[in-house]
Amino acid sequence: MDKTILKAIAILAVLGGLLAIPRFVDSPYALHMMILLFMSVMMGQSWNILGGYAGQHSVGHAAYFGVGAYTTMMLMHTKQIAPWIGVWAGIALVVVVALIIGSICFRLRGPYFVLASIAVAEILRLSAINLTTLTNGAEGILATELPPFKVGGAIITDFATKVPFYYIGLFLVVLTVGVTYLVQHSKLGYFFQAIREDQDAAHSLGISISLYKNIALVLSAVLTSLAGSFYGIYVGFVDPPTVLGLDVSVQIMLICIIGGMGTLWGPVLGSLVLVPLSEALRSNMITEALVKIGLVSPESKIGIFLKENLSHAHVLLYGILVVVVILFMPDGLMGFIKKLAKRRKQEAV
Amino acid sequence: MAILEIKNVSKFFGGLAANSNVSFSVEEGTIMGLIGPNGAGKTTLFNCITGYYPPSKGEVVFDGRRMNGLDPDKVCMLGMVRTWQKVRPLAKLSVVDNVMVGALARTSSLKVARELAMEQIKVVRMEHRADFIAGGLPIGERKKLEVARALATQPKLLLLDEVMGGLNPAESEEIIQLILDIKQRGLTQMVIEHDMKAIMRISDRIVVLTSGEKLTEGSPQEVVSNPEVISAYLGEAHA
Ligand SMILES: Nc1ncnc2c1ncn2[C@@H]1O[C@H](COP(=O)(O)OP(=O)(O)O)[C@@H](O)[C@H]1O
Ligand SMILES: [Mg+2]
Repeated sequence: MDKTILKAIAILAVLGGLLAIPRFVDSPYALHMMILLFMSVMMGQSWNILGGYAGQHSVGHAAYFGVGAYTTMMLMHTKQIAPWIGVWAGIALVVVVALIIGSICFRLRGPYFVLASIAVAEILRLSAINLTTLTNGAEGILATELPPFKVGGAIITDFATKVPFYYIGLFLVVLTVGVTYLVQHSKLGYFFQAIREDQDAAHSLGISISLYKNIALVLSAVLTSLAGSFYGIYVGFVDPPTVLGLDVSVQIMLICIIGGMGTLWGPVLGSLVLVPLSEALRSNMITEALVKIGLVSPESKIGIFLKENLSHAHVLLYGILVVVVILFMPDGLMGFIKKLAKRRKQEAV
Repeated sequence: MAILEIKNVSKFFGGLAANSNVSFSVEEGTIMGLIGPNGAGKTTLFNCITGYYPPSKGEVVFDGRRMNGLDPDKVCMLGMVRTWQKVRPLAKLSVVDNVMVGALARTSSLKVARELAMEQIKVVRMEHRADFIAGGLPIGERKKLEVARALATQPKLLLLDEVMGGLNPAESEEIIQLILDIKQRGLTQMVIEHDMKAIMRISDRIVVLTSGEKLTEGSPQEVVSNPEVISAYLGEAHA
């Protein structure tokens, strides 16, 4: 059978499975993990458009994530504007922010672009801390009371469980992956990749560098802001470090580096590795597992040390993971899998 | 009719005059050869013509239009495209995708772009390489890819910067035939070349640059029998 048809069937099957999950799973914890996974795919995929396809390695995507999250939360908290309306304000604001950032940062190439993108996100984080009348400063904004979602007077959901969030997350994942698919299969994708591979060559072939970099940035920023708004309303709380911090930017980028930059499924793979890993570290699951299989006794010095420290060590472990990936799979998991498949094909011949 | 007029173009890098007061014009449908020793300012002149550097002085007129201050992408859209002496393949993309990027200057349809790209890939005889990743090509084929990609933008004037540089005699011969083929199709070309024999065979006229200045201009016969050219250019080449 045709390969693309097989792929389409596989994707529809997975999607069907994902749609059915809340019918069979009612553990809030399991749904919570799935929602975190969706959020991670969204964030990674949004960065992928700018960083992976267009090759502009922004380390400041927290700017768009945070502006989206803050705008939606502030409007809900102070003006009682429903998040599905506030999210549009977030998008509009993010477009403005992105174009300002683009006009500053895209004058620069390579490491200078990276530094400028970090600087801009840091400026926004510091502004959120200091503009206390607007953002409530370092205390952040707590807004957990979501208005019920109505269509034509009928209440669709009142957000009492995690199920509506699950479906919103799934919808947003399909949206971001869909947008990326369309980009990849259009002139835009070709132009983005040409700019990534060789900016001067791209320029000589009639590609307006500033126009297409800005298109990539705006697409990427809008999707990131959607992820930020979703984060805000799901968690019910935003403050400067959790939505505008440098580690948010790094986390977003890591998803792509580990999964594979500039590929449609890279961010999905990256999320499938990173989300369970960070959860296992956070909840001390790894130490418990080591104890369970009898490798470490809970009373031994090592056991106590791991229990106390492993959950704080995620930054270190991420660092090690990135080094391993860069050394042994420079094109991420996706590139590694493709290489294996190719090798197997050649061996079969 | 002159399709390209270069009028008193100078380009300074600090104190260095990489081009100084260069003037000549290129007639439609012809091949203009541009020669000169290494560092004479040939590539710099291409950069000034195609919008990579604004000329410090002077004027570039293409197809009746003043080009100074236009960006390289605008220059390409107006019908003037260049290749790179130091080749610039889009390394992770396949050969056909590379050429499609060029074709997409004139169409938004990937299907049309793919057809246009395959046509140009045939022109440079690389059909068997269409799905090969460009970064893995040997130098001879990288040079041909540069030409196919530039042709795919459907230019009126093609600027070739040392497309034979680093090639063996058989590969160079193939490029010479390619350039003559392109001329047959009515395209105007300006060709930078280091190899005197090759440039003599393909050019209708030749401009000689030395130390940024135009030394002389004429038919291949006139240029090759000019004693100044022999001492300035051939002297260096045979030294
Ligand atoms: N971007 C630049 N900055 C400073 N000097 C340059 C630059 N580009 C070229 N040059 C200098 O200009 C002169 C002409 O170079 P070039 O045009 O590359 O010569 P050619 O192509 O004839 O070999 C050389 O001396 C070179 O070092
Ligand atoms: Mg040169």
